[in-house]
Amino acid sequence: MDFQSRLEARGLSRRDFIKLIGTVTAALQLPAIYQPRIAQAVENAANKPAVIWLEGQDCTGCTESILSSFNPGPTEIVLDLLSIRYHETIMAGAGETAESWLAENIKQGGYLLVVEGSIPTADDRFLTIGGRPFRQILQEAAANAAAVVPIGACACYGGIPAAGPTEAKGVQDIISGKPIINLPGCPVKPNWLLGTILHYLVFNQVPELDSNKRPLAYFGGLLHDNCPRRGHFEKGEFLTDWNDPAQKDFCLLLRGCKGPKTYTDCAQSWWNDGVNFCINASSPCAGCTQPEFYAAGLSDNRAGLAPLYVRTDTMSLPGIGGVNPETAGKVMAGASVAGAGIHLVGNIATGRLKQEKAEEGRRDK
Amino acid sequence: MAQKIVIDPITRIEGHLKVEVEIENGKVVNAKASGTMARGIETLLKGKDPRDATYVTERVCGVCAGSHGWVSSVAVENAQGAKLPQTARVLRNLILGAMWLHDHPLHFYHLSALDYLDVTMVAYYQGQDPKLLAVKDKIVKLVKAGDTSPLLPRYKPDEFSVNDPDLVTTAVSHYLMALEMQAKAKKMSAIFSGKQPHQSSIVAGGVTMLPDLSKIEQFRSLLAEQSDYVEKVYWQDVLTFGAGPLLPLARAGVGGGHGHYLTYGGFPLDDKGKFLFPAGVIFDNQFGNVLPVDPAQISEAVKYSWYSEQTGSKNPSEGETIFDLNKPEAYSFVKAPRYNGKPMEVGPLARMLVLKPQPFMDLVTRYGIKPGAVARHAARAYETVLLAKAMPAWLDELEDLIKHGETRIHDTEHWDPPATGEGSGLIDAPRGALGHWIQISGHKIANYQMVVPTTWNHSPRDEHDQPGPLEQALIGVPVPDPENPVNVVRVVRSYDPCLACAIHIIQPESNRILEFQIG
Repeated sequence: MDFQSRLEARGLSRRDFIKLIGTVTAALQLPAIYQPRIAQAVENAANKPAVIWLEGQDCTGCTESILSSFNPGPTEIVLDLLSIRYHETIMAGAGETAESWLAENIKQGGYLLVVEGSIPTADDRFLTIGGRPFRQILQEAAANAAAVVPIGACACYGGIPAAGPTEAKGVQDIISGKPIINLPGCPVKPNWLLGTILHYLVFNQVPELDSNKRPLAYFGGLLHDNCPRRGHFEKGEFLTDWNDPAQKDFCLLLRGCKGPKTYTDCAQSWWNDGVNFCINASSPCAGCTQPEFYAAGLSDNRAGLAPLYVRTDTMSLPGIGGVNPETAGKVMAGASVAGAGIHLVGNIATGRLKQEKAEEGRRDK
Repeated sequence: MAQKIVIDPITRIEGHLKVEVEIENGKVVNAKASGTMARGIETLLKGKDPRDATYVTERVCGVCAGSHGWVSSVAVENAQGAKLPQTARVLRNLILGAMWLHDHPLHFYHLSALDYLDVTMVAYYQGQDPKLLAVKDKIVKLVKAGDTSPLLPRYKPDEFSVNDPDLVTTAVSHYLMALEMQAKAKKMSAIFSGKQPHQSSIVAGGVTMLPDLSKIEQFRSLLAEQSDYVEKVYWQDVLTFGAGPLLPLARAGVGGGHGHYLTYGGFPLDDKGKFLFPAGVIFDNQFGNVLPVDPAQISEAVKYSWYSEQTGSKNPSEGETIFDLNKPEAYSFVKAPRYNGKPMEVGPLARMLVLKPQPFMDLVTRYGIKPGAVARHAARAYETVLLAKAMPAWLDELEDLIKHGETRIHDTEHWDPPATGEGSGLIDAPRGALGHWIQISGHKIANYQMVVPTTWNHSPRDEHDQPGPLEQALIGVPVPDPENPVNVVRVVRSYDPCLACAIHIIQPESNRILEFQIG
C-alpha cells in the first residue's frame, strides 16, 4: 500500500497530514525546518505508533491533561496520531473484554508503554486490576514494550502518594532493562508527551536525558532562570500580600516558590493553550517536576519540598532573598566568585547548576 | 442457581473499580462494588502545614479538578477563622463552574455514550451532511485499517442500543466535538486558575489571582461558546436518547436504588448559605419533603472495608482509620458512609430532586421517567444547562465588585495556621456531596478526613448489611446474556464513579502504618 492510501486508510487527507505534522513539530518545540524529516518518519511508519496506557495509583489528571491539548487537539491525538490500544479511562470494552485485549496487544509487542500513577510496594493488594497486582501487570507490559514513558510525578518518582502508607514508587524503581523516559509534573504537560513520542518515532532513539531520566529539551532549564518575575527577585521585591496591587507581579519566594530548585519549561511554554501557568497566576511553583516533589518517601530519607507555601531551607541573602544552602555553598566554595556581588552569586548558582545538570545527563547516556 | 459475573476493571470511569453481580433468571439478584486501589492521601497530610491540604487534596482527583482544593480551602478557612472575600468566592465559582462544564459532557459522551451506541452503524449512514459523511469516512477507514482502538472491542450491542445510522453518526460527531469542547472548558478555567487540571490559584483564605478585564472578556467569550453547545448539543442529545431509544430503560427505572438523596449545596451565592443548587436531604423518594442537612448525622461503617473494625461507625470529624487487609468479610477500600443510618445517593439527580426545576420535573412527568440510570444522565445534563445560564451573571458580579473597589481576594490576616483549630468544608462537587474535615494541633494537621461523592454512591454494605446505593441500584437489572453484562456497566457508569476520590486512609499515631501482615 502506498503512503497516500495508508493515510486515507487512517481517514486523513494529505492536507490534514501536513497540518498535523506542522502542529506536532511545534509540540516537539523543534524549528519548522524539521517538518520534512518528521513527515518522512511518520510516512515510513506503516502504522500509527501503538500505545498501551496503564493507570496505577493515579487520579486521571495526566489523562485529563493530555486531553487538554490544543494543536494537535484531543481528537487528532486519539484517532489520527496514536493507536491507543489500551486505556482504561477511554476504551469501550470493560472487564474480561478489556483484559484479554490487553494480553493480545502485549503479545504483539513493540508498543510504547505510557504509565500514569505510582506503584504500591508495601503490599500488592493496595492496587489490583482484574484481580491481579498492578505491579505484575506493569512488569508484563514493560517486558514487550519498545520503551516505557512514565508520565506525571507519581509514575516517575512516586509523587504525592510516595509519602503515604502504601510506599508508592515510580516505574524506574520497578522496571529495569528497558529505556525509560520520565515526564514528570503534576500533571504532565501535553506537549511533553506528544513531543517525546514523536521524537521517538522520528529519531528512533531516546531523547537526551538528565540524571533523573527527564528529556533535557523540556527539563534542562531552571524555572527560576526563565521566570517572568525574575527581575523582581533581583530587586528583592517579594509578594507578601495577594491583595496588594503593587505586589501583583512580585517574586513568590516568600510564598514558598520552588522555582529556584525546579527544572521545567513552564515559564517558556504555558499551560492550556498557553493561557496561564502557576506563577503567572501568582501561585508559587510547587516543584512538581522534581523527584523530591512534595514530601519525602517513607522508605528513603529524601528531603521533600513541603511545606509548599512557606520559604524552606533557603539561606537569607540580603538583596536576593535566598538561595538554597547547597547551591550557594557550591558557588561560595569556588574561587571564581570571590568578590562577586551578591546578585551575581544568585545568577552563578542557578546557571552553574543548570550546566552541571546537562553534563550529568550526558554522562548518563 | 445464581451465576456470578465479575467485571474488573470497570473502564471509562475515574479509578479502579470491580463489580461482582449474581444473575438469576436473567436479572441481577445480588451485587458487590469493590474499590481496588488505595493511596493514603490523608495519611501523609498528618503533621503537615494545614495550608498544604488544599494543594495535596486537589490531587485526589484530576477529573473533578478544583473541587477538592476548593472544599479543603473551606475546611482550612473554617479551622483558621479566615473569612473568604466576596470577590474570591465569585472567582472560585467561575473556576469550578468551568470545570463542571468540562466534566458533565465528558461523562456523557466519552465515559457513557459507548454503552448505548452501536458505533458500527456509522457505516450505514446514507445522509448528505458533509460533517457526518466525514465522520463516516473516518470510522469506516479505521475499521478497514483494523485500527479501531479505543472504540473497539466492546460489549455486544443489545435491544437498548441505539442503531439508527443517522442518530449514531450524529452522536459520534458530537463525541469528537465534545473532545474539543472539554479542552476549551479547561482552558477557560485555567485563565483564572493557573492551569487545569490541578489549578494553583485556590489557596486557603482565597485565591491568588485577580484577573484583569481582558482576562474576564476572554473567559466570557469561551463561556458563550460552551453555553451554546451545552444547550443545543449536549442537552438535546440527552433528550433525544432519553425520550427516544432509551425510554423503556428510563420508564422501568433501571438502576434506581434506595430512594434516599443528599446534597450539601453547589456554588455558594453568598456567605450565608445560599446556593445555586440548594442543600437538602430526601428519604424514601418523598420528593416533596426536603429536609435540611445536619452533618452530625453522618457516620462511616467499615464492616466490609479493609479497615480495622475498632474504627467503625464514627462521624468523620472524629474518624480514624487503620488498614486491615486480612479482614475475612471485607471486599472494598471504600468505606460505607450513612446519613441517619441510611445509604444516600449523591450527585446531579439528588441536586435536581432537591431543587426541582420546573422544566426538568415536567419532562420527568411527561415521559414517566423513574429515578435510575437514564434519569441520572438527564439530571446531569439539565443542571449543566442551569449552570451555564448562571455563569454570565457571575462574570458581571465580578466586574461590579472590581469596579466598586472590592479587589480583596485573600484573607491574609488569617494566613498563618493557629496553634489549634478544627473545621469542615461541605460543598457539592460534580459527582455529589463532598466533605473535608480537619483538625489542627501545634500549627500542623493532626487529623484529616474526606467523605467524597463516590464513597457515598459506591459504598459497600454497612454494619447492618444494608447494600450501598450502587449495589442496591444493580438489583433487578436485566442481564439476559451473562457474557454481555452491558446493562450492569450502564448503571455503574450512570453515577459517574470516581474511585480515586472514594478511597482514602487516615492513620492514627504512627506515621507508618502496616498493622497487617505483608504478603
